[in-house]
Amino acid sequence: MSHLLSYLIFIPFVGALVALLIPANRINFFKQLTLGVSIIQLILLVLILSAYKINAGVQLAENIPWITLQLGSWGSLHAEYFVAIDGLSLPMVALSVVIMAIAVISSWNIEKNHKGYFTLLLILNGAIIGSFCALDFLLFYVFFEFMLLPMYFLIGIWGGPRREYASIKFFLYTLLGSIFILIVLVASYLSIKDPATSNEVVHTLNVLHMQNPDNIIPGSLLDVDTEDQYGPYSFRMWAFLLLFIGFAIKLPAVPLHTWLPDAHVEAPTAISVILAALLLKFGGYGLLRFAYPIFPDGAIEFAWMVGFVGVLSIIYGALNALASKDLKRLIAYSSVSHMGFVLLGVASATAEGAGGAVYQMFSHGIISAMLFLIAGVLYDRTHDRLIANYSGLASKMKSYTAFVLIAFFASMGLPGFAGFIGEVLVFFGAFQSHAINGLIPIWMPIVATSGLLLGAGYFLWTIQRMFYGPYSIRIHVPELTDINSREYIMLLPLAVAALLFGILPQLLMKYINPFASEWVEELFKHASFFNP
Amino acid sequence: MTHEEIPSALIWLALAVPGLPLISSLVCFLISKKFNWTIPLLSSILLIAATACSTILFFQLHNQSVIQSWPWLAIQNKIIHAGFLLDSISLSMSLAVAWVSMLVHFFSIGYMAEDRAPDRYFGMLGFFTFAMLGLVMSSNLLITFFFWELVGFSSYRLIGHWYEKPAAANASTKAFLINRIGDLGFLIALMILWNWFGHLDINNFNFSAVPTEILTAAGLCIFIAVIGKSAQFPLLHWLPDAMEGPTPVSALIHAATMVAAGVFLLVRISPLFTESALLVISGIGAFTAVIGAVGALFQYDIKKILAYSTISQLGFMVMAIGAGAAQGGYLHLLHHAFFKAGLFLGAGAIIHALHQATHHSKNNYDVQDIRNMGGLRKKLPVTFITFLIFGAALAGLPFTSGFISKEIILSQMSLWAGTDVSGKWVIMIAAWAVTFLTPIYIFKLIWFVFFKESKQETELQDIPVIMKMPLIILSILSLALLLPTFDFHFFSTVNVILNYFPEASISITIISLAVISFALIFSYLHYRKSTPGKLSSFLSPQYYLDIVSDKAVFLLSILYTITNWIDKHIIDQIIHLFTYLQVTIAHLAGWTDRVFIDGAVNGAAYSAKGIGAVARIMINGKIQSYLLWAMAALLIFILWILY
Repeated sequence: MSHLLSYLIFIPFVGALVALLIPANRINFFKQLTLGVSIIQLILLVLILSAYKINAGVQLAENIPWITLQLGSWGSLHAEYFVAIDGLSLPMVALSVVIMAIAVISSWNIEKNHKGYFTLLLILNGAIIGSFCALDFLLFYVFFEFMLLPMYFLIGIWGGPRREYASIKFFLYTLLGSIFILIVLVASYLSIKDPATSNEVVHTLNVLHMQNPDNIIPGSLLDVDTEDQYGPYSFRMWAFLLLFIGFAIKLPAVPLHTWLPDAHVEAPTAISVILAALLLKFGGYGLLRFAYPIFPDGAIEFAWMVGFVGVLSIIYGALNALASKDLKRLIAYSSVSHMGFVLLGVASATAEGAGGAVYQMFSHGIISAMLFLIAGVLYDRTHDRLIANYSGLASKMKSYTAFVLIAFFASMGLPGFAGFIGEVLVFFGAFQSHAINGLIPIWMPIVATSGLLLGAGYFLWTIQRMFYGPYSIRIHVPELTDINSREYIMLLPLAVAALLFGILPQLLMKYINPFASEWVEELFKHASFFNP
Repeated sequence: MTHEEIPSALIWLALAVPGLPLISSLVCFLISKKFNWTIPLLSSILLIAATACSTILFFQLHNQSVIQSWPWLAIQNKIIHAGFLLDSISLSMSLAVAWVSMLVHFFSIGYMAEDRAPDRYFGMLGFFTFAMLGLVMSSNLLITFFFWELVGFSSYRLIGHWYEKPAAANASTKAFLINRIGDLGFLIALMILWNWFGHLDINNFNFSAVPTEILTAAGLCIFIAVIGKSAQFPLLHWLPDAMEGPTPVSALIHAATMVAAGVFLLVRISPLFTESALLVISGIGAFTAVIGAVGALFQYDIKKILAYSTISQLGFMVMAIGAGAAQGGYLHLLHHAFFKAGLFLGAGAIIHALHQATHHSKNNYDVQDIRNMGGLRKKLPVTFITFLIFGAALAGLPFTSGFISKEIILSQMSLWAGTDVSGKWVIMIAAWAVTFLTPIYIFKLIWFVFFKESKQETELQDIPVIMKMPLIILSILSLALLLPTFDFHFFSTVNVILNYFPEASISITIISLAVISFALIFSYLHYRKSTPGKLSSFLSPQYYLDIVSDKAVFLLSILYTITNWIDKHIIDQIIHLFTYLQVTIAHLAGWTDRVFIDGAVNGAAYSAKGIGAVARIMINGKIQSYLLWAMAALLIFILWILY
């Protein structure tokens, strides 16, 4: 059995360990080390892709007992080191590896404390990939929490003027979400048994076991037949809601989104890129992996709410993007708007919706990374992000403008770019939902289309204000230069990827489609267990 | 209708038709700046090749209907195909697109000779041609939508070609946004169709199985897209502004092809439209046709007159398709592509010549205002003669292509309207009104530009040959007279396919000829003496629609100010409140810690210290005092035992 995934996860941690042993004045070493780790990961990714079999479900699994605790009358606890990938995690893992490599390149001109920065970046790298691969809830939770710490310091130390406020806000918000997830984790631990051991109750947090309703211990907290009501709902429903809120904060969904603009505005470019491209994905990933399959009855009960929050995020995020005067803030709000499509797609519980949501997560990863890199390019030159301070940049920075146009039009869902595929599938799924499973009403996708119009509005307005018209800038800087070769190297692969996955969607869809189809099928199969 | 597969030899040919313009676009963008001078040449050659391929394809597949598609996107067990659906509708349209685009490329070589960014210009021109051909030839509605948005994008880039000019930047944004409104309608229609059929292949729709109300909803949603793209009421005010783009662009995109895409779409999926949807379509079309024509009457900017004329003519086609004259409407679309492209290129030639002249003489005036022109018939003879032909085709004079299609439309519509007075007569009256108004405004334009005496004394140089040639070719294509070899008309295949040929009624022809002659006589008498008046914006539909748009933008700005306020003052305040609450509780806990718990601990320490101090007094090193304490202790012990 190969250990490809473990290598992928732990090589960055090993790198971090090495970095800690090296004197802090060897600045270039840290850069090369981090880049080296990313290159090894890229090679591993190719190996994983070649080993991956479409239609084979969960694969490349590594399952080793991790924690075993005898708890007397409570039975025993088994937590496993269980990593594997399927059609949901493969796109996310691939995205993570690529984005981390690009983040390293964009971190090349970090100005202070290189040792700390790159060490934290490596830890973040391992934790992100670990959480995308983990199929044990406890293992996921450990990796998931592990991301928080480096992120907090990366924003808090290398960030902009209000970095302390932003990092604490980010930390508290996310921690709140984590606590909600932790409650569900404890409840699941108490309620779910390993099917392999029948005579003695062995508690497990293996996600595959958790998804099967047969493994729920009768009479436990999460048992559907329990008479206990906590307020209006049974504990199962509350558990779904807690998971939903926990992951909605991460997504972020309105009204739990206000940490995002602040964190983005203050974070250094590379961290903004990772935050937007990867960390936000845990919101959608968590819903698709944990909340929906484990609580299908909750998913059906609250589909309307999930869809509504999605539509609200789409429109509210877009309106706030229109109101933003700061380029990075605008992009941050556009992320809120775009992640709303993920919610809408998931809520529809159709193959189109779920597949579209995964596709949207992937494409948003590529495109938002590009957007933040673009904002960073300008900030590096002028240390100013106010839209009103620029005019006519198109005539001074030609290649830069070309990339801006690609990124902006990709983000507003122009066909030919990856964003279009995700959005169209989400719309198809959400519209169909009414006829297929009756979960969300047809006005939701129809109202949500206005997000596309608003999206075009704020991006085109920005182009018109910053790039068109006669050249003038209101900041005292020496002559603006066009993008350099390092910036080319980080922007070009993303632009190519955004185009490639927009023109040939099947390249990615062939991985997602089996997952999405099965996901929907299982969801309703398990839901019927709870609501016969 | 069943469709055969495309013969394999022709697949490459079909791929080359949109492929070559795409290559042209890529070449323009990727070529080194040093070789910028080769760009016009290279892209023109590639366009000639594409046009040749398209022409061969047209004759090879004459009267056939073939399809070839490949899976593009699979979800669950549903597949979205990408491919070609080639029948006489898409073949004739792609032929028109390729030809006009090629001629516009030629014209641009002269017109844009002094432009700083030929790479951007020819690159986008090539890209537009690719997208437009893709739109036309696609076999799947999603792919059509794909290209539908891409033509909008290229239009945006080309309108904003001179982006340093704020007006151009503004116009490009406006055009894209208003088009996007229409695109949302398209998207919703796609959702409805996907929900019903589970596929979007144009040749596989079985509309008869769908309930009428759903069909009507889908049809009207598609029509919203048509309204946006083909500048119908109420989304027409982007088109006059779009004239900020280079004039050849206006000819290609905003006259001949892209704006006609809406009309094309109506024909492409005509079975979708129910009776009631068609009535709405014809009503909107008729209204647009009339207000467009009225708007053209009161403009003095040469390009804006033509823009309004385009709006009016597009409305005329939309009305015709809604009113049971689909064949005529589609034929008019093809004819219009040639003569309107010709009119715009003619206008471009005039602007070019005047611009050169003012540039040399330093005598600056608005070279697009027809009140500043006059007497150009002697200075620009080729432009004059071709312009006359295009104008005649627009007005619908005999022996021109416009005459034929207009006769078909009018006679089909009169059959549709019937002899009994009904609501349909309103639309019929609108059709006649447009027939009457069109010769007037085009006469006015020609009169001011070519006949009236010039106020500006400038030395004009005639335009170069490369710009004359497209005008001549287009004027030939606008004449019906010269194409007798293709029975009746070059594009009569359209009628063959639609399997219906209208009986051109003699009475309709006589009436329309009378109307046109009356209009011409009237305008001659009116404009012969008249001094040009002031521009009256109250009579242009744009004036009112701009007010509406501004109000909408204003409402939007209120809305986003509110959401921004909510973010800052409600959500964040709640978060801050929670934080303060937490900090307060923390302080409270800290205080409790200090006062009570630490107090207790310190109290314990203090008391120990106090006791220690007392004990220290006792331990003073004197045997006597130790004895005393021992005695006292013994005493207490005895007392405790006793009681």
